[in-house]
Amino acid sequence: MTRIQILPDHVANQIAAGEVVERPASVVKELVENAIDAGAERVEIELRNGGKTSIRVSDDGSGMEREDALLALDRHATSKIEEADDLQAVSSFGFRGEALPSIAAVSRFELETATGESEVGTRIRARGGKILSVDDVVRRPGTTVTVRSLFHNQPARAKYLRAASAETRSCSETVTLLALSSLRVGFRLESNGRELLELSPADTLKERVAGIWGREEARDLLSVDHTAGPIRVGGLVEKPDAARSGGRRRYLFVNGRPFSDRGLVKAVDEAYRTTVAPDVRPTFFLYFSLPPSAVDVNVHPRKAEVRFGDRSRVEEGAREAVRRRLADLESAPTMGPAAGETPESDGDGEPGEGEVAPAGEADGTRAPLPGPQASEGGGVTAGEGSAPAPSGAGEPTRAGESGGDGESQLALFMRQAQTEAGEGEDSREVTATAEAAATPDLYQVHRSYILAQTREGLLIIDQHAAHERILFEEVMRHFEGETGEASQRLLFPLTLRLSPAEYQAVEELSGLLEQVGFEVEPFGDRTVIVHASPQPHPYFDAEGCFRDMIRELTEGSELVNSARNQHEKIAKSMACQGAIKAGQPLSQEEMAELFDRLFATELPGHDVHGRPTVVRLTLEELERRFGRS
Amino acid sequence: MKLSITRDNLQQGLGAVTGTIPSKTTLPVLSNILLRAEDDRLELSGTDLDISASVSVPADVEAEGAVTAPARKLNDIARELAEAPVHLSADGEKIELECGKSHFKLFGLPEDEFPAFPEVDFDESWHMEAGRLHDLIERTSFAVSTEESRPILNGVLWQLRSDHTSMVATNGHRLAMMTEDLEDVNAPEADLIVPPKALDQVESLFDDEEEIEVARSENHLGFRSDERVVFTRLIEGPYPNYNQVIPDDNDMIATANRDALEQAIRRMAVVASDQTHRVRMEFRSDVVHFRVQTPDLGEGEDELAVDYDGEDLEIGFNANYLLEILRNMPDDDVKMSFKAPERAATFEPASGDPDYLCLVMPLRLLD
Repeated sequence: MTRIQILPDHVANQIAAGEVVERPASVVKELVENAIDAGAERVEIELRNGGKTSIRVSDDGSGMEREDALLALDRHATSKIEEADDLQAVSSFGFRGEALPSIAAVSRFELETATGESEVGTRIRARGGKILSVDDVVRRPGTTVTVRSLFHNQPARAKYLRAASAETRSCSETVTLLALSSLRVGFRLESNGRELLELSPADTLKERVAGIWGREEARDLLSVDHTAGPIRVGGLVEKPDAARSGGRRRYLFVNGRPFSDRGLVKAVDEAYRTTVAPDVRPTFFLYFSLPPSAVDVNVHPRKAEVRFGDRSRVEEGAREAVRRRLADLESAPTMGPAAGETPESDGDGEPGEGEVAPAGEADGTRAPLPGPQASEGGGVTAGEGSAPAPSGAGEPTRAGESGGDGESQLALFMRQAQTEAGEGEDSREVTATAEAAATPDLYQVHRSYILAQTREGLLIIDQHAAHERILFEEVMRHFEGETGEASQRLLFPLTLRLSPAEYQAVEELSGLLEQVGFEVEPFGDRTVIVHASPQPHPYFDAEGCFRDMIRELTEGSELVNSARNQHEKIAKSMACQGAIKAGQPLSQEEMAELFDRLFATELPGHDVHGRPTVVRLTLEELERRFGRS
Repeated sequence: MKLSITRDNLQQGLGAVTGTIPSKTTLPVLSNILLRAEDDRLELSGTDLDISASVSVPADVEAEGAVTAPARKLNDIARELAEAPVHLSADGEKIELECGKSHFKLFGLPEDEFPAFPEVDFDESWHMEAGRLHDLIERTSFAVSTEESRPILNGVLWQLRSDHTSMVATNGHRLAMMTEDLEDVNAPEADLIVPPKALDQVESLFDDEEEIEVARSENHLGFRSDERVVFTRLIEGPYPNYNQVIPDDNDMIATANRDALEQAIRRMAVVASDQTHRVRMEFRSDVVHFRVQTPDLGEGEDELAVDYDGEDLEIGFNANYLLEILRNMPDDDVKMSFKAPERAATFEPASGDPDYLCLVMPLRLLD
């Protein structure tokens, strides 16, 4: 009978390493997180051979005293948690206390650290988890960890490492995620001596996104900020008209920690519904801020997934945050570069308009343990008020100031023009309503577009697209309320002969068609009689609309195929076929009515095909074009 | 061309014709007015190719000739002139206008660029008193369709029969029809579909007392008096058989004061939906109760005494349709008839005179 033995630490560490350290990217993640937790302003990562040969992570953070450094190599020794209860309120990245010993257990490990308080720093060398030497070293404050020959003692695992290029990509993605969650930290990523990323500390998320992917990418992103009870959702979402199909960038963070969650991604896609074509996957960067007690981040060793106390509320928060932003006219395309995003405003360090730092990222660092006041403050920032970071916290910045303050945070959304007009305190909802409230002078051009002067410049409205949005929401409301559209009886009922499939469709759908306003009587022999029709506008062609609708519903189209149910199918088809056509002259009153009704809809900036209803030409852009700026 | 004309005659002539000048056109000469001096008259003509009008006013013609002049500018100038004789002359396309100390030069276009008027043979013409024609036009043409998929309904049907004539207009939701007796007119039996804009021109160009001579060619219709002429293109195609939709079994009859009814509906229309303009009318014994409920806007209610002893009836209408009909109703009291909430309602003068009938299809009511 084998006696139960307590495993020696290095063996236990190797086992634990199996969970934590899977590949070079996991090492990079753990080390960079430690660096950020140590209050680093800049973290440099160097890879050799995809990290298989070596990974070096250097920071300028607080560093460790010798005893702490030695303790850090002990499993479950962590400076971040003292008692099990603290687990409930963790806001730092690493906390399981597994990282360093686990990495050390499967590599040739070297750690150099200095605090800036002691005169000498410490260098610890270890191999396979066993400490080989502890020396004095002279270095600047901070920590450098070098990990060589990863898995040299675990051939089974080493075998599963992929090609260096794939491992490099994976490390790069890891650094990207961390860079997106720690804006105030500068990053440099180097692979085999070649620079892959060079990011200076950023004031705003937009700046960081621009640093990683280029300014083009950042231009079409809209800032989001929405608070629903204890949940706050911030970040950036892509303008619907800029979104393309194919794999886009979709990042989620909770209390500053990246995570993946298909349910939330789906919720965001739902929010985009009808504003983008069905196969389009818009880019987004969403930062959720919740009281630490409302989210369990400790469900997965690599913390890739989290568990929410009230999942539906978080999903609803995400949906609502995006939806509200899409309801804003700013989500409509602009002509020329958007205001505040002209190339000239590059690099002057000023945050662009409409930007907001991700919640919880107020000062570029995270507090190891958030004070209770953080959760009382609506869970806005975990780090607010208790950040021990040696740097960053001391310099008030726009992003920093706004971090915990709902008012000034909202002010960041305001366009500069509005701020100048002394309306900086309005919320953007107020502005949107104010803009729509007073119907401006309207001009129809080419019998298809309506020009409207607004405080910010000029709106160009596509009359057909605008009416589509109006009709779609109206029909959906009828379905939801189970009331019907007012239906005008016809003096001369329409007798229409249809194809067999169309006839069958009409028979099947007659109840729904009636709710839309078409009273249809199947008459046999593929003939239907339309006794009553809706009257969405004075130029409505009931017969043409009905025929096109039935054809579309029978044969399918990109539009109706994108609908999620029969109601939406009919509403989309009715909106598209029944809306005022391009080429229709409109009177002043008709334009005013269209304008008012458009801005009474939920998503005035978007039609039902994923196209804009409105294009904005800002005063700034006009001034720029005329050389007045 | 050289002539003198009184300011008032010039103003009157220009004012009469500018109505036919299209405000936007791709053919520049259509923005011009044709001026022709002949036999001590100045003839002014304008056209948008569908409808043409021409007026002749007295003038002292020194040299006969013709030219086209920018209609709007000439009209604006004439309006601002002092009360004095106007001297008008043209040398090629250069037009000079003098009035007292005022002196203008305008650039015209050659007269041969101006489209020729349609040829309508007035040998086969018939005569009608302008006032009667105006009445027919006014009470029906409002009901034409504005929707362009059925061009037929964009026109007014003018039916000529041996002893009567009628005009009918409908947009498929409501219909207006008026009939007048004809005696000794000798009009050919015909069904003509006339653009309402042309009828507007006829209404504004001819005085009530004038006798109008009407004639048709295959696709044009001409109206003329001694000094004025209007031509219009006719809309082709068979007009829907409206007789078969006029109900003959509506047995629920209500009579109301036209003004009171119109006012009540106008009040209701304020809170009616911008899109459907729906009002609900509940007829009970000697009273009609109005109700409007518009989501997101509000509600309104009203009541009016009427003469009604039919069964209780609830019916919905587009308030705008009712208002247009009542505005044109030629009597103090209006007689309404109904059959059911989904069937056509009729509106006529209670006195039965003139022979005027309007039809409105209801809007579906939902509770």
